[in-house]
Amino acid sequence: MTGATSSRSFVKSNNLYGWLFISIAVILLAVFLLYPIVYSLYLSTTSSKGIVQNFVGLKNYIRLVKDPMFLLALKNTFTLFIIQVPIMLLLALILASLLNDKTIKFRGIFRTGIFLPAVTSLVAYTILFKMMFALDGFINTALMNLHIIKEPIPWLLDPVWAKITIMIALTWRWTGYNMVFYLSALQNIPDEIYEASEIDGASKVQQFFHITIPILKPLIVFTSIMSTIGTLQLFDEPMNLAQAGVTSATTGPGNSLLTLSVYIYNLCFKYMPDFGYAATVSYVIVFIVAILTVIQFKVAGDKS
Amino acid sequence: MKKVLSLLLAVLMILSLAACGGSTEKSKTVADEPKTDVSKGQEDTKETLAEKSGKITIWAWDPNFNIAIMNYAKELYTKDNPNVEIEVVDIAKGDLEQKLHTNLASGVIDGLPEITLIEDYNAQKYLQSYPGSFTDLTGKINHNDFAEYKVSLMTLDGKVYGVPFDSGVAGFFYRSDYLEQAGYKHEDLVNITWDDFIEIGKNVKQKTGKAMLAFDLNDGGLMRIMMQSAGKWYFDDNGNINIANNDVIKEAVKTYKAIADSGIIKQTSGWDEWVAAFNAGDSASVITGVWIIGSIKAEESQSGKWKVAPIPRLNISGSVNASNLGGSSWYVIEKTKGKDLAIDFLNTIYGGNNEFYQKILVDQGAVGTYKPAQSGASYASEDAFFGGQKVYTDFSEWMKSIPAINYGLYTYEADSAIFTVMPEVYSGSISIDEALKKAEEQLKNQIN
Repeated sequence: MTGATSSRSFVKSNNLYGWLFISIAVILLAVFLLYPIVYSLYLSTTSSKGIVQNFVGLKNYIRLVKDPMFLLALKNTFTLFIIQVPIMLLLALILASLLNDKTIKFRGIFRTGIFLPAVTSLVAYTILFKMMFALDGFINTALMNLHIIKEPIPWLLDPVWAKITIMIALTWRWTGYNMVFYLSALQNIPDEIYEASEIDGASKVQQFFHITIPILKPLIVFTSIMSTIGTLQLFDEPMNLAQAGVTSATTGPGNSLLTLSVYIYNLCFKYMPDFGYAATVSYVIVFIVAILTVIQFKVAGDKS
Repeated sequence: MKKVLSLLLAVLMILSLAACGGSTEKSKTVADEPKTDVSKGQEDTKETLAEKSGKITIWAWDPNFNIAIMNYAKELYTKDNPNVEIEVVDIAKGDLEQKLHTNLASGVIDGLPEITLIEDYNAQKYLQSYPGSFTDLTGKINHNDFAEYKVSLMTLDGKVYGVPFDSGVAGFFYRSDYLEQAGYKHEDLVNITWDDFIEIGKNVKQKTGKAMLAFDLNDGGLMRIMMQSAGKWYFDDNGNINIANNDVIKEAVKTYKAIADSGIIKQTSGWDEWVAAFNAGDSASVITGVWIIGSIKAEESQSGKWKVAPIPRLNISGSVNASNLGGSSWYVIEKTKGKDLAIDFLNTIYGGNNEFYQKILVDQGAVGTYKPAQSGASYASEDAFFGGQKVYTDFSEWMKSIPAINYGLYTYEADSAIFTVMPEVYSGSISIDEALKKAEEQLKNQIN
């Protein structure tokens, strides 16, 4: 009897200490994470001109559907996401399985080389790309000297080419990053599986599609979710490629590089500052990310 | 082992917390010091001039222009008032606006400077978005001494909130060597229309192989120059959108397309490429605000090869050969510690020092909007860089004929709407009328 009560009080005091210790984390989370989330939800129901704020209820969400600039930003973001992410992930997969081959010499150098872009600063690499892809920049000069093209390509001056340029830049920057995930997973696949399939007469391509990809599936889902979120939050690259911060009329030719995040920036700092409406747009990004993530899990067929 | 580790962690956390506390205390005491100084300074203002003391912080952009000028103003003021400390902070324009917005929106003025530079296109936006945040300078500065069009941009409900600074009077800067080679004299370039300009450009391109204009087809600068030359804007005087049925914008868009089609331009993207193009001698002319002089002169090897003519006018009645692009003004932020000192500083230098305006004109090419300064000696001086042309006399003359307009609140939104449809205009996939209708719809939905 006495033993039971003492153990209960021990549990109690243990609980108390437990709460005490996590309280710091909980308070910090509440102040710096929970409060901003709730406050921005409230903010998204107001319309503001700077500090002149009006409660408008759900009107911002209705306005969103009719706002052609928002729809354009959404379209641009999705174009980038639908074309660039699959190309990049496929490229990363191929590179990873190539570099996992033990017979390749200097694997370390290749791996490092392909991963290195991932450690460069976003702003620095974008500005370099902007210089390289100028009308009389390195890329055009090189292509013309090699007689591949006759006229310089308007990389950053034409709406379609501008999108292609940013996709090239993004692929350069992030392929190595994704490759490293695949590479680490590949190293955990026992060689016996490949040997066995080889004896059964499977070609390298068959091995890739029937062994490598199924085993890597969880990681492919993970990287595609990460890339989705990254693309939906794309900001540094379009901002710097288009030098859109200061006085330029549009983000890229014909606003072709206007992404959702850049639009949020414009709503806060370039246009009449409407923090309420900007909060609405950011909430929409959250919803879209959530929906896309659910879809990706469903497509991947991960029932657990 | 685990216990030891967790103990270590706990100790580390406590230590780091203590360190944090310590540093905040320190910074507090530092922040407190100037406070007492300033309150002293405010009392002194009323008594004698020599004993002014305190600190003013100033935010501005462009080290070759605004910053250099402000540093000179600081030098002049602190010579007479040695106890005043002035800190001029150089922040890129985009970053400055971002900082200003976040600080003003938070309602905390600790992070704000006493004086900040604001671009004219944005002035009304700040004044209306943050009521009570800027100091009403009516009666504290003699605004009659400044160009009227400039003062009207910073007036809200009859109160004037800023100190007018530079003019963005536009000029047609051209390479006299290239144009002479193509057979043109200065007289041939005065009082021309944009159509004439394109014809001249074709000849220049043919005879010298150089592009007539370094130009970013996605930049709205020239559009604003064209619109203001005819006294029109994206909005009418009541602030209503006026795009689809605006003859001036239609003509301006037509001119943009004609320039794009004529093959006389070197296409650039962004500010850096644009400046690099004319500094490298790749283009025969630049049409923009007078503030570009600093960037043109930065390439010293081209001294004597440049000249300035009035800008071309639109082929439409009411358009004149004078316009404006950009320009900015100084604003004092309400409730900051050194507010009164800041007003005194602006009044002494920007609102009354003629010498100052002569010097910044020569050194930075800054055409002030302070009227008494325009009869000064420097304005009549010949500039060797421009082949001995009295450029500033010309600019002051053109400044007088700039049509005054109300930019309203949404210039950048409108810019964005127009230039979203411009690529389709260039490719010819939609007509100009359709494009303008589309832009107006877009803008309407965006700013309702």
